[in-house]
Amino acid sequence: MSQGWLPLITLATSLLVAPLILLLPERAWRARAVLNLSAALLKLLLVGLMVVGLYQGREFAFGFTVVPGVEFLLRVDALGMMFAGLSSLLWLATTVYAIGYLEDSPNRKRFFAFFSLCVASTTGIALAGNFFTFLLFYELLTLSTYPLVVHRGHSAALAAGTVYLRYTLSGGLVLLLGVVALHALVGDVTFGEREMLRDLGPEYHSLLIGLFLVLLLGLGVKAALVPLHGWLPRAMVAPAPVSALLHAVAVVKAGAFGIVRLVYDVYGIQLTFELGLLTLLTALSVFTILYASLRALAQQELKPRLAYSTISQVSYIVLGISLFGPFGTIAGLAHIMHQGLMKVTLFYCAGNYAEELGIHRIDEMNGAGRRMPLTSLAFTVGALGMIGLPPVAGFISKWYLGVGAVQAGMPWVIGVLVASSLLNAAYFLPILHRLWFRAGPEHGKGQWPEERRLGRFETSGWLLWPTLATAVFSLLAGLLAGVPFSPLDLATLVATEEYLP
Amino acid sequence: MTATLLLILTLLWPLLLMLRSPLRVLMEQDALWRPGPRPKLLDAWWASAPLPALALALWPGETTLVLDGWLLGGVWQLDEARRPWLLFSALLWGLAGVYARGYLVAEQQAAEAGDGGTFLRLAGLTLLWPLTLAGNLLLLLAEDIPSFYLGFAVMTFAAYGLVVHADNRDAHLGGRAYLIMALFGEALILGGLLWAAGSADVLTLAALRDGIAEAEQGAWMAAILWLGFGVKAGVVGLHVWLPLAHPVAPTPASAVLSGVMIKAGLVGWLSVLPLGDPAAGLEPLGRLVIALGLVSALAAALFGITQRHPKAVLAYSSVSQMGMLTALVGTGLSDPALWPAMSVAVVLFAAHHGMTKGALFLGVGISEHPPRLPAWLLWPLLILPAVSLTGALASGLASKWAFKNVLYEGGHETLVTWLSLAAVGTTLLVARALWRQWRERGHHAIPLLGTMPLAWLFAIVAATSLPLWLPVAGGVVDSPWPPPDELPGLMWPVGVGLVLACVGLWLAAITRRRITWRLMSGDLWWLYAMLARRLGAGLQEGAERIGARGSRLRGRLVAAEREGMAWIDGLPRYERRFRQLAVPLMIGVAVLLLLGFWLG
Repeated sequence: MSQGWLPLITLATSLLVAPLILLLPERAWRARAVLNLSAALLKLLLVGLMVVGLYQGREFAFGFTVVPGVEFLLRVDALGMMFAGLSSLLWLATTVYAIGYLEDSPNRKRFFAFFSLCVASTTGIALAGNFFTFLLFYELLTLSTYPLVVHRGHSAALAAGTVYLRYTLSGGLVLLLGVVALHALVGDVTFGEREMLRDLGPEYHSLLIGLFLVLLLGLGVKAALVPLHGWLPRAMVAPAPVSALLHAVAVVKAGAFGIVRLVYDVYGIQLTFELGLLTLLTALSVFTILYASLRALAQQELKPRLAYSTISQVSYIVLGISLFGPFGTIAGLAHIMHQGLMKVTLFYCAGNYAEELGIHRIDEMNGAGRRMPLTSLAFTVGALGMIGLPPVAGFISKWYLGVGAVQAGMPWVIGVLVASSLLNAAYFLPILHRLWFRAGPEHGKGQWPEERRLGRFETSGWLLWPTLATAVFSLLAGLLAGVPFSPLDLATLVATEEYLP
Repeated sequence: MTATLLLILTLLWPLLLMLRSPLRVLMEQDALWRPGPRPKLLDAWWASAPLPALALALWPGETTLVLDGWLLGGVWQLDEARRPWLLFSALLWGLAGVYARGYLVAEQQAAEAGDGGTFLRLAGLTLLWPLTLAGNLLLLLAEDIPSFYLGFAVMTFAAYGLVVHADNRDAHLGGRAYLIMALFGEALILGGLLWAAGSADVLTLAALRDGIAEAEQGAWMAAILWLGFGVKAGVVGLHVWLPLAHPVAPTPASAVLSGVMIKAGLVGWLSVLPLGDPAAGLEPLGRLVIALGLVSALAAALFGITQRHPKAVLAYSSVSQMGMLTALVGTGLSDPALWPAMSVAVVLFAAHHGMTKGALFLGVGISEHPPRLPAWLLWPLLILPAVSLTGALASGLASKWAFKNVLYEGGHETLVTWLSLAAVGTTLLVARALWRQWRERGHHAIPLLGTMPLAWLFAIVAATSLPLWLPVAGGVVDSPWPPPDELPGLMWPVGVGLVLACVGLWLAAITRRRITWRLMSGDLWWLYAMLARRLGAGLQEGAERIGARGSRLRGRLVAAEREGMAWIDGLPRYERRFRQLAVPLMIGVAVLLLLGFWLG
């Protein structure tokens, strides 16, 4: 088999599962579970193969011409592989979780079909070799996540779905304009060919700045940069596995990944720096980090608080790439994975609390640590990581961000990081305090909103194991950051091999 | 090789012991929920957590362990500078652990008998105690910055569980003050470390010190780091958690908090500040540090004597003593040439204060539950470490002589005078603490050969004989005791303090009124809390105003959108009219065209 087919097959694993699931009858949940899990495992295996091939220096590319001048291109590079690896790993975990979460609920067939489509689009975004292909999957992502957001079908879900569509479709439209304009300027924009724009000469610079802003506007909606973040907290009505996937890898991360591509692979970090656009990104991300943290502080419900925390944390990625220098790049790229692992853990935990005990509000969480010790432990790991305490992965990101800030000549950014850490502590530590140190229903004080006994352990095993797995991964990603193939190691590979002269 | 294994075991052993009780509970499924007897939590194994550390500290020779995969590259080290810290920390942790087995025996019995709540609280303590210890040991042994910070953070956050163990209102207030102040400290430390390590692009503490000395903004980095560690070391203004958290923690936890953990702040200073580096140019900062240290030392003494709870008085004494140590560390910045000699004195003083204050705290529990000893033996034993702390006897005398000698040689007579004044304050404080202990003494005697009295007795022996066994700078200090003609100069503060204490007692007796009006423990904390409340209210108001403005804007946008949609919905009406007009229009166009052809 030619190696060019590998990316295509990887994409197909999740893309073709969708119609197969739709063909299966609604009550064949066992067959559906087997199909889902085997596809997820197969994809993880294929991505693993490609990562190994990449380390050996092999090329994987697949492409055909759509219309003259416009090419569909799938190509494997280190940055894309990082994102594909994250998405396939978390797809597996989230599939397991979703099977447990949606047990006995209606419309599971529809859910899993669109779920696979959503992951397929994420893979497509990761593997896209040029801006046209990227745009294709970016839009597919918007459309395939809508049914997931409104899955529950009640009026709040539908309203949130409408807001979601408004934001993302307008963002997509703006992005389309930008891509078309770029296409008109230099032809097919292949990722990695940075000299195309660099060679344009200074007279194009103002045009390039304008185009960058347009593209940033389009990508920033999904990356939930303030003030384009309004859809994210509302989309919290989605079921927990969807929120988890939305926040950790699919939509928000796709936006951030797009910005990374834009800065490093389209404009090139050098050109972006010369145009003064990095400063803009820094300012934007710093504002987002602080504003979203403050908003998170004001939330009384668990999932919206986590949503605002996502907005703040995803901006760390943008902040990292906006710091000119290798350390900033490494920080931004490593945080793509670190944030994904930690946030997916937190959302799984929120889902576990909601499913097992009916907890939605933060003040209902008193003493839940005694009832659900393992889930609460996972939540603690995630929360401490978000604060940036060692040895969880978040510390590594923060360390590299800080060092990167100094190297970029902006030591004041450290002040922002410290303030953000304090704010994170201010909205996560009270939750941890409630979990572990307050007396609650388990201590004979009040009762849980809606307690169910889902399994032999503290909750159903389907819900518990993915939570623990991602928590352990986020711990190990920090504790053993120095070993080969850790997220930090991959990010360093990307930064040194691809972007630095 | 053995030393390296011991080094790993030092950190691993507490963690393994920590996992023991949850694993046991897991193995007996549902042990938490079912009523009935429970396993014993505080057994001899649990108390053995610091033993490998003790063995490592006594093991001859230095050792370094490099772990490439750990965080950003781990370097753990035992060298002569770290040995005394490790030795006295491990010793005090061990003694406090043994003491805790006796101190918490009532809870232990209740838990074994099946009291679920007590069992859980005790289980929390058995988990967090070894974790705190592991953090403390890691911060002592780490040479790479991430491990150091990891140890510091683990120790800080795990100790929260020790502070709130009693689970009552005061405990939660103490825990809250502790945690909030600790967070600010952690934030400052993180900021300072990132800034300094980023500027110099280094990952080890030794290189960090050089980096700060050379950096252009070195003074600011040093100041931030000094403040960050100052929270733990109880620098004036940042000390507010100490008097709130110490009295509420279980007595053995107070002992390690005051004896070892606040020394972590001092260890932090010694690890990151370029002390004794003449190129650093941090003299102004050094003078500021000395001044603030002296303010701490004196103000804490003045405030402390108004307190009633003996542990609160002892906590203020810790603030005061740490203030003296702070001033000594300041000389390392302001007079770098003095530092090689001064660093020895600082280590001796810190170890002396750690062990002695540990013994004093353990003594508070002893006076509450006195062992079967005659009063003429018990009270002198309780007084002995107090006298040592004032500097009139034993290890106190030796450590005081050590730093005074260095300061005289460096020509810092004024500083010596101020420090002597602080010693007067110390005398007053310990007199007050012992007086309160006497007033609150218990009467139910416990057996002498229990873990609690034995650990206490051993702590007294170890504390008073400290200069004889503590290896400072490669060996035990040669002649720790001052020559007899120096004694008057060292003793007068104690004498003055005793006289003042007697006068105070006499005044209290003749006025028969409480001359110490109640000043709330935690002094500035209440001011901070009020300011924070004001700030919070202000922010809330601002947020509401912004929120209202935002919703107005959104409302306007929605209204505009609705209008737009209405206009679009109204278009079919125009269409009808357009259809009516279509025929005349087409005829008109046709006529025009015809006209055009005809003319053209």
